[in-house]
Amino acid sequence: MDKLIMKFVLWIAKMFLKKDVNFQQLKIIIETKLLMDRRRVRVNMKQQNAKKDPSNQILMTMIVYGFMGLFIGVIVIGMPNIIMSMAIVHSYILFMMAMTLITDFSTVLLDTTDNQIILPRPVASKTFFIARLIHILVYLLQFTIALSLIPLVCTFIAYGFFVGVACIATIFLTVMFSVFITYLLYGLILKVSSEEKIKDIISWFQIIMTIVFAAGFQILPRLINFDAIEKKFTMATSWYHYLLPPMWMANALETVQKGIFDLPHLLMIVLALFLPPFTFWIMIKFLAPNFAKKIAAMGNTNSNDNTTTINNVSNTKNSTEEKIAAIICKTRTEQAGFELTWKMTSRDKTFKIQFYPSLAYLAVFAFIFVFKSGKGLAESWQNLGNTNMFLWFVYLSNFTMATGLALVAFNDNFAAAWRYYTSPINNPGNLISGSIKTMLIKFYMPIFLILFAFSFYVWGPKIIDDFILGFFNNIIMLLVMSILGKKYLPFSTQLNVKQQGGKFVKMILQMLIIGVIVALHYFTLKIWWLTISLVPFSAAACYFLFLKIQHYGWAVIEE
Amino acid sequence: MSIIKIENLHKAYEQNQVLKNINLEMAAGQIVGYIGPNGAGKSTTIKILCGITSEFDGEVWVMGMDVRKNAIEIKQKIGYIPELAALYEVLTPIEYLRFSGKLYNLDEGIISKKTNELLRLFELNDKANNRMTSFSKGMKQKVLLISGLLHNPEIIFLDEPLSGLDANAVILVKEILSQLKTAGKTIFYSSHIMDVVEKISDRIIIIDKGEVKADGSFEELKTRAHEGSLESIFTSLTGGSAQHQNTANEFINILNS
Repeated sequence: MDKLIMKFVLWIAKMFLKKDVNFQQLKIIIETKLLMDRRRVRVNMKQQNAKKDPSNQILMTMIVYGFMGLFIGVIVIGMPNIIMSMAIVHSYILFMMAMTLITDFSTVLLDTTDNQIILPRPVASKTFFIARLIHILVYLLQFTIALSLIPLVCTFIAYGFFVGVACIATIFLTVMFSVFITYLLYGLILKVSSEEKIKDIISWFQIIMTIVFAAGFQILPRLINFDAIEKKFTMATSWYHYLLPPMWMANALETVQKGIFDLPHLLMIVLALFLPPFTFWIMIKFLAPNFAKKIAAMGNTNSNDNTTTINNVSNTKNSTEEKIAAIICKTRTEQAGFELTWKMTSRDKTFKIQFYPSLAYLAVFAFIFVFKSGKGLAESWQNLGNTNMFLWFVYLSNFTMATGLALVAFNDNFAAAWRYYTSPINNPGNLISGSIKTMLIKFYMPIFLILFAFSFYVWGPKIIDDFILGFFNNIIMLLVMSILGKKYLPFSTQLNVKQQGGKFVKMILQMLIIGVIVALHYFTLKIWWLTISLVPFSAAACYFLFLKIQHYGWAVIEE
Repeated sequence: MSIIKIENLHKAYEQNQVLKNINLEMAAGQIVGYIGPNGAGKSTTIKILCGITSEFDGEVWVMGMDVRKNAIEIKQKIGYIPELAALYEVLTPIEYLRFSGKLYNLDEGIISKKTNELLRLFELNDKANNRMTSFSKGMKQKVLLISGLLHNPEIIFLDEPLSGLDANAVILVKEILSQLKTAGKTIFYSSHIMDVVEKISDRIIIIDKGEVKADGSFEELKTRAHEGSLESIFTSLTGGSAQHQNTANEFINILNS
């Protein structure tokens, strides 16, 4: 599809461009850029696929977007109120477009290799500038089409020809606005921080994006009480509607449909028609030049700009993780594993993108358990205190933690693991136990405490003993999983397809273990003294399992 | 007439003076080695000569053309091979060379013919259609070399051309450079590998902290500095061997403490 759009845009461009642009160069630059776009691995797609050479990643993304469009399209057709359905369509496009630009296109916008690759070649700066512009245009167009095609078709069906045509216009205005928002955000980030920070902030956006993708469709259908929301929307226009671009568009479209020309609608139409072009003009005039300068500076100064990273070497003050390591790790090897894992889990982008969203799923699962569909929200909430559902909360974090523990083995920079193999370590199990301890203290304990606090609020003090027992039981399960699985040293291997093979079997096994333990725990609920008296046994089991892991020799470690 | 002429060249990044009054003239058909410690201003000089950076003080001419006014014409006639293996890794060598050849306005047929033959000479023909993400540094360096030479430039600028190449490839590149010289091309290159510079350069320019410290043939530098190898000339001009010895001493002392 991008090739078709490119041909179309180039065809138009050819009519406007004068002789001072080298058309052959223009074409090859855009072609190459689009080829690279197709091959670029997208973060919001499944990570596992990334290792196989992706041939057309962008197409996959667009198919996913298309499916989401189907969902929105159903809303358009199913919802009788035009303001509401159009507000949803435009919010969706605004959000998705801005998110796509921030998370995906940022790699293109912030790329400084162009400076090194294209600038030394005889390409006029005007040709280069226009190539860049057209590339962005093609990119925007293909995503706009992918996002809005199905909702647009549904709009035509539901509201007729004129609203449909007007909707095309408002969608373009919305896309314009999302570009402005993206630039504004980048401008702000660039103003306050460095290049490294930007990449960090962008990876947070990617994490948010992943969560929205997965969670949005779980929670939204449960939350939406169509009647109530619709009542709100049919009420008179509130002042804050003037702050929401999708509302401008929706009101403008309502005017097209029903011919309402009162003051609020006229105001909204003016906003819809003039504000996006105006912000776009501001962007081209003020934001973009400033931005381009900053990017160019990023490429030039990175070799000399070490001042911020230099810390005082003689600084002997220990950080938090180093203090914790000294307390809970027995050997220095274990401390090393603990500290490394602690630092890497905070800094490694791949780990963060894979693990942090699964933390957010916890909230989603909790939500699903509490509010089973079919019953009203209020009803399920009131019943909650009378159920034994808190057992779910005791063991909820188990899957997430098991995933996290498995992920610790992987790193893009896995070759650095030579350090382990060349060091005089007798029991490499210490490294593994150290990294397990990090995961338990850094992630498991806070999550568990939050779940406990929530359950204490709902069920009261009677659940304390269950949470204490569950605390150790969870650790037992994680350690057993670790012992049964392949034993990789932390960050010592590459994520590839081959290792994904056993994943299903592992999942089943994990479910079985959890099922058995939860069932046993459930039976102990009936005898009030049993739960708490099992705690010492459970704790002792944890201790011995840790001992076992610590005593791994080199023979059992996978390379 | 000199093919490269630099007069009173100054360049600063913000407060940092990178080049302080460089004056150089170079004749056509020579191999010039441009050496200096990290941050001495080597890459900056090359970027100015190639017309990539136009913000500087002083006058610079390449082939009689002002680099500020005729950057495009100059770029068409020179080849630039950067360090750090800067290329689009998701492309295959064939795709990348096609891209870069077209930017030089070369004919498609010529590009593909030359590309295939040059890749074969560099023993990359079996990887010609693999993406460069999996390439070693040396393999990428070979692709960069081809992409910088494909349009048969008059002057060739190389920034650390030998880094990452294996021993055989180093010998091959050395030989290619001398053959290019015989064909009348001018070669300007920066490197850290002293014994290669020593052997192939007609002229050696040593810069440090943005200033030219020494300029002449290897023989001339040797007689002037009373040292036997380029490496010792280099250290005596740019840092002083006594200082390195002290640092090394201290290093050992800390290890023993």
